[in-house]
Amino acid sequence: MWQKVYTWLDERLGLGDMYTALLDRPEPRGNWWNTLGSASLFLFLLQTATGIFLTVYYTPSPDHAYDSIQYIMTGVAFGWLIRGIHHWGASLMIIVVFIHMLRVFFTASYKYPRELTWLVGIGLLLMTIGMGFTGYLLPWHQMAFWATTVGTQIAGSVPFIGDFILKALRGGPDLSALTLQRFFAAHIWMLPAVLLALIGAHLYLIIKHGESHFPGKDD
Amino acid sequence: MNEDTKKQINAKYERSLQHGERFWPDSIYKDLVVSLGIFVLLLILATFVGVDNVPKADPSDTSYIPRPEWYFLFLFKFLALYGQIPLLGKVEWIATALIPGIALGILTLVPFIDKSPGRYYAKRALPIGIMSIMVLGMVLLTLLSDVPTVSADGSRLLGTFQAIAGIIIPVLAYSAFTFFSYKAKENAVRYIVQTGVVAGLLMIGFTVATLAMHTPVQAETVEIPTTLEERIVAGQDLYSVNCVECHGEDGSVAVIEGVKGLEGKEISPINGKDVLYTLNDATISEVIAYGRPNAGMNPFGKSYNPEGLTKSEIDYIVTFMRYIWDDRFEKPQIKPLFPVLVAGEVPSYDVHIAPIVKRYCISCHRPGKDSRGYFMDTYDNILHSGDNAANNVIAGDTNGYLLQVIQNHAINAPASGGDEIGVMPPKKALKADVIDVFVRWVMAGMPQSAVDAAALSTTPTPAP
Repeated sequence: MWQKVYTWLDERLGLGDMYTALLDRPEPRGNWWNTLGSASLFLFLLQTATGIFLTVYYTPSPDHAYDSIQYIMTGVAFGWLIRGIHHWGASLMIIVVFIHMLRVFFTASYKYPRELTWLVGIGLLLMTIGMGFTGYLLPWHQMAFWATTVGTQIAGSVPFIGDFILKALRGGPDLSALTLQRFFAAHIWMLPAVLLALIGAHLYLIIKHGESHFPGKDD
Repeated sequence: MNEDTKKQINAKYERSLQHGERFWPDSIYKDLVVSLGIFVLLLILATFVGVDNVPKADPSDTSYIPRPEWYFLFLFKFLALYGQIPLLGKVEWIATALIPGIALGILTLVPFIDKSPGRYYAKRALPIGIMSIMVLGMVLLTLLSDVPTVSADGSRLLGTFQAIAGIIIPVLAYSAFTFFSYKAKENAVRYIVQTGVVAGLLMIGFTVATLAMHTPVQAETVEIPTTLEERIVAGQDLYSVNCVECHGEDGSVAVIEGVKGLEGKEISPINGKDVLYTLNDATISEVIAYGRPNAGMNPFGKSYNPEGLTKSEIDYIVTFMRYIWDDRFEKPQIKPLFPVLVAGEVPSYDVHIAPIVKRYCISCHRPGKDSRGYFMDTYDNILHSGDNAANNVIAGDTNGYLLQVIQNHAINAPASGGDEIGVMPPKKALKADVIDVFVRWVMAGMPQSAVDAAALSTTPTPAP
């Protein structure tokens, strides 16, 4: 019975081809450091899932953002857990992505033929930091508000275009409801969209070239 | 890179695949173990560490010391140290845009800068050395982020040490690495490793020395009310301190009495539908923050007064008004102000008197208010402050002024001279159980802590 179902699906989906192309690949002898990439992907998926749950109750307005998070923490069943995972997952994701970058750097895995994988990876690192930066403002508490004030100020100190960057980030000369709306849009739509596209490119390149092997004396 | 090198690289990779593993199940197994570990770690962090409670954003509170997220702290510290450099330190964009931009640019273009085919560590001493020192510097700068560059006594030693650890040694190390890698030929790797280890140890040494010299300031821990009940109680306490004088305990005052400067002013009772039905929460908050100059309402927000109420505090007051006075809101169960006393039990300052005083007395009996110098903000002040310090609270004596005035006996000729001391609180007598707490407390000799009070009790008291 299951055999029949599988054959039916395989004829239409090509499950067997997918298995050989994606899963049954030869790999160089693995190392625990090689798990950091998949760990980053896992954290991304976890952040996406918990983030989607949080948007059910979160309200991106200065009047309600803080209270809506208080409500998630005290009023919603397991809201504290979802938010706790999202909060700590953000910090952990930054750490894991950064260490992943260091691993690739120290083993020189960015060299031929994986230069593009590295470029895409730098994009992923920057997007992850961007997610952290935009997400930090959303709770609209004192630390978030002033950290973003300083952060956008620093971005605004770039010569010539600094003023434009500052106003584009804040939606005006000061932090306001517009800033919160912008950061929210960036945090849940723009940056995740870019991240997802880059993750796709990154994974394609990894499957195309295979994981690099750990360098030995003759490399 | 020529075709031959490429072929060699690909051939080497093929060889490593020969004695490698399968992606499924070998690699996936490790990936799953690590992901599961991360998930468990997150569950533990979310459950047992939780998320810090921080007060609501308050744009008018300019005294707040801004701190970025932890992963930007190193950059923040770098900026502070860079700012110490004479002359160049004034050109802010070099540190905020140029240097991070160059670092990021180099990182991005690494595959195109480092084009040699060698991947073994010994063939890459320069990039590995620079990256190691850079990462160590980032970690150390993060650790140093709380240490000021100028200490309290004006000494710049702390700042100098930090600059040595975070900027000067790394820059020297980078230069030495580059020099060795181009000049020292076959000894380059050894020299780079040796310089790197020495530089790393020196950086750690200066960081440890800085951290040892600096005694961290214990951050004030602020209890932040989270549940509705806690917010209402916080609002009621704030209301008692800030609003009761004019609006009365239940918000029903229509003509202000006994307040200097506002005597006889007609105001709207704030506990009725006229106010609560017509103004929404945001409007009430604004009235509290910015006042209503024509209606006699003073501004209480931080924009007018650095000592004023924060946004969160104003929100608590509004929550309190809504849930206690607005008949459209259901009043939740709220803990009594103080635990009920059983026969023979002696109340203590910490558990009973402090919350009562905070709600009924402090709005007038605090520094800055005209109350014959009698302040009730601390235990010591209740016992020993004001013009009548000797007569206010006398252990075991019902004739002390405090017990007299709260029991509806004005003091006609106070020892300090001057006018009679009227009954307290001036407008609304305390409830009998509150008076009982004061009487028992004074008769037992004013114990401060619950433990002292329990020792004086004639019946065993339940632990507080």
